[in-house]
Amino acid sequence: MTEMIETDVVVIGGGVTGAGVLRDLALRGIKAVLIEQQDLGHGTSSRNHGLLHSGARYAVRDEEAAIESYQENLILKKTIPGSIEETGGLFAKVPEDADEYVQKWLAACKKVGIPTEQVTLEQALKQEPYLNKKVQAVYRVPDGAVDVFTLVIDVVADAVAHGAKALRYHEVIDVLLDQNRVKGVKVRDVYSGVEKNIYANIVINAAGPWGTQIAQMAGIPLHLINNKGMLAVFSHRFNRQVINRLRIPGDADIFVPAHDVTIFGTTGVNVTDPNDTSLDRQELERMLAEGQALIPSIHEMRMIRAYSGSRPLYQESADLNDKSGRNVSRGIALLDHQKRDGLAGLITITGGKLTTFRLMAEMTVDLVCEKLGVNVKCTTAEEIVPQRKVEGYFNQIDMAPAARNKLKSWAGTKAVQIESALREENTVICECEQVTWAEVEAAIPEDGRFHLGDIRRRTRLGMGPCQGTFCHHRAAALAVEKGKATSEEADWALKQSMIEREKGMGVVATGETAKQQQMMAAIYLVSLGLEREERQNV
Amino acid sequence: MLDFDLFEQTYEKCLKCNACVVNCPVSNTTLDFGGPKHLGPELKRLVNQQQTIDDKRIELCTLCGNCDMSCPENVHVSTLTAYAKAIHSDQSGTKFRDFVLSNAETVGKLASSFGPITNLAMGMKPVRKVMEMVMDIPAERQFPKYRFKNFKRIYHKKTAGTKRKVAYFVGCYATYNAPEVAESFIKVMKYNGIEVAVPDQKCCGVPMFANGQMTQGLKNANYNINSLLEYTRQGYDVVLTCTSCTMALKKEYVSFLKSAGAKELASHVYDADEYLRLLKDSGELNMDLSPMKEKAGYYAPCHMKAQGIGNPAMDILELIPGYEIQDVGAGCCGQCGTFGFKKEKYDVSMRIGKPMAEAVKEVNADYTVTECGMCKNQLDQLTDKVVKHPMQILAEAYDSYR
Repeated sequence: MTEMIETDVVVIGGGVTGAGVLRDLALRGIKAVLIEQQDLGHGTSSRNHGLLHSGARYAVRDEEAAIESYQENLILKKTIPGSIEETGGLFAKVPEDADEYVQKWLAACKKVGIPTEQVTLEQALKQEPYLNKKVQAVYRVPDGAVDVFTLVIDVVADAVAHGAKALRYHEVIDVLLDQNRVKGVKVRDVYSGVEKNIYANIVINAAGPWGTQIAQMAGIPLHLINNKGMLAVFSHRFNRQVINRLRIPGDADIFVPAHDVTIFGTTGVNVTDPNDTSLDRQELERMLAEGQALIPSIHEMRMIRAYSGSRPLYQESADLNDKSGRNVSRGIALLDHQKRDGLAGLITITGGKLTTFRLMAEMTVDLVCEKLGVNVKCTTAEEIVPQRKVEGYFNQIDMAPAARNKLKSWAGTKAVQIESALREENTVICECEQVTWAEVEAAIPEDGRFHLGDIRRRTRLGMGPCQGTFCHHRAAALAVEKGKATSEEADWALKQSMIEREKGMGVVATGETAKQQQMMAAIYLVSLGLEREERQNV
Repeated sequence: MLDFDLFEQTYEKCLKCNACVVNCPVSNTTLDFGGPKHLGPELKRLVNQQQTIDDKRIELCTLCGNCDMSCPENVHVSTLTAYAKAIHSDQSGTKFRDFVLSNAETVGKLASSFGPITNLAMGMKPVRKVMEMVMDIPAERQFPKYRFKNFKRIYHKKTAGTKRKVAYFVGCYATYNAPEVAESFIKVMKYNGIEVAVPDQKCCGVPMFANGQMTQGLKNANYNINSLLEYTRQGYDVVLTCTSCTMALKKEYVSFLKSAGAKELASHVYDADEYLRLLKDSGELNMDLSPMKEKAGYYAPCHMKAQGIGNPAMDILELIPGYEIQDVGAGCCGQCGTFGFKKEKYDVSMRIGKPMAEAVKEVNADYTVTECGMCKNQLDQLTDKVVKHPMQILAEAYDSYR
């Protein structure tokens, strides 16, 4: 028998867009259920720079996107402080780039109201010692760094706290139709195989690059350009602020500091399959060659992994000759399929940017309200998602100051729980990122199966240079010991995480990372006798 | 605020393998220390371009250098921990006691001026009780003796006229506590037809680095580099009898300063036995060594091992006919320079030293040979064997030759 759920709105896609829509719906008192095929943010939302745009990058070519970005930048810094580091950003002009562009860019920023401040070269190099000494002009803009994992998780958690429901590891297998009206979706729990029908007045397609598939299930055409970009993670944070190249936006020209690492990218290649997260060494080599213009010592720095994801770009009439996708607007596309295709009850929200997700959600829910005849104003521009930084906790706990520092900027609503657990057990299990078992225990989601990736996104476990070589087996062993997983589940989780870590490491595996990978293989496959398995799509 | 963001890049290579932790004498003794991996490369990564973290557990690092030796990736762990010490002193201040201990040279000057009184006082229980109360220096800890007739009062030669010329970096210990070691060295060189000059010099800085006094330590380093380069540029070889000073001149100045001068100097620096081994290899060593029917146990100081030059003392002493010398094969002594003089570290110091004492007992030689004055201090306290410097034995072998 198929389980049945009734609600007002179904949101498909647990990325940042879906998360934003779910929270907006919840804050306006509309019942909603979110469906995510894997973990929250597993798609495009976590496969990007984690850059909180100031809008300056788009000022010249896409005025609208620039204005939206800047406005949202200010709103997000205020409303989601726990996932944003106000690093500021620099735009640096290097000799190989056009001189004219600088004035053009400055004028464009001025026109749309994005503040720029000239920084002396001496100051810039003092703050950013790895920056090319030959830079000719440097400007500061209000860019920031976003933790994309915690952003999505916290926004969904706040929505759930306001009455919404979120189903992770559930894939949509069909869109339920009643003549010219969408009445819900059929989903399947990817772990148990149990199918559920979820009935709703409105279904929102926020599935990002998977949006085309959802449209297909509803029997309507939707052409998205899935523009795949590659990013590389350096083993340590070498820049204090975001560093952008001051030129017409191109490949490999942004470096974002993200906690203890630097993220560098990106590229743009159109792909057909939204699940295509393949990595290419030559693409990486081209990126590094390009990145040298800003960071000359880039080839000497250790990379710990790379990843890729697709931007869902939407244009009613796509230019098929633009292979790079750079000329397609980053603008927001809100499609009312009743007007567009004569299919009621379905809305697609796509395009846009990480930085503008809240605005996208506001626009979407405004449309939902109009359709449902609800008259409640959007409050997400003011309502704050619970802060992660905590004061007055952990000072009395005997623990490494580095681990304490991390918890103080991380524990948030779980501070009390973590602090009391730390009194019993304060061992750091992930040394690279200073994660304690207490934190892992507090982060394990109540639904789903024991999964190291789920824990990683919630704690940074295994995100450091050793990529889980040492912490994965510790976490898995402790989980079994503490009754959080069976040994079969732990075994499965270890295998999955190893396959996943190796994929990202493999493409950057020269020097130390190659050795690290060998060491990881030796520990898991030889010492622990884990058998290699084919990758499962989890 | 200290700024050394670009100083030490080797931390990037850390594979987290824990070889340094396994080989750390302190980590093996107490869980209160964060360990070389965490307080070295790991911490450096976590503070890079972010907020500085002051971890007071770094006080337990002795800068012995076993971490550097064990690292398969050649991460300069002890350079990173030395900077963690500097950050800790910078942010949390320095105890008066640590300031005193780090200034071994000043203490040496003063203590040796009142040599007999100092030694007498240091042997008196009430005095030591007061020192323990006021300075946190444990009353049970033995101190090296201070000599009124220190080496500075004995030897004043500033130049050498022989073909091979040696510029001797004496170090505080041989200057103020053991002038007999310095005198033996001069004698051994003389038997080899080499004149020894003693250039102007200051404390090598090792006790300062160990107590987080990085700024003062580097000041001394620069002074010594400038003074010694004047000699090396005239063809002198810089030779030392103290393993810690040798480590500083060979490795630490280069790691900390990364200056051309430090690198230039390092290429001219030799441990005394290493220098003699060099003479032997080029057929220049005077082999007129009188036979000695003695059995010695050799204890290798950490800072000797860290130089990566093998066991030159054994290589040389084995040339004495009939002489028997065996490596006692022990790890760190636990004295670790100023570390073992501190009350809160005394227990750890004793526990680290215990396996060494047992090894010495097991070998049961006539006496123990070691280069390091601080290791000698711990050996004196924990074993009943006499402790000698290799130069003293060599000088004797040359003296008795007929």
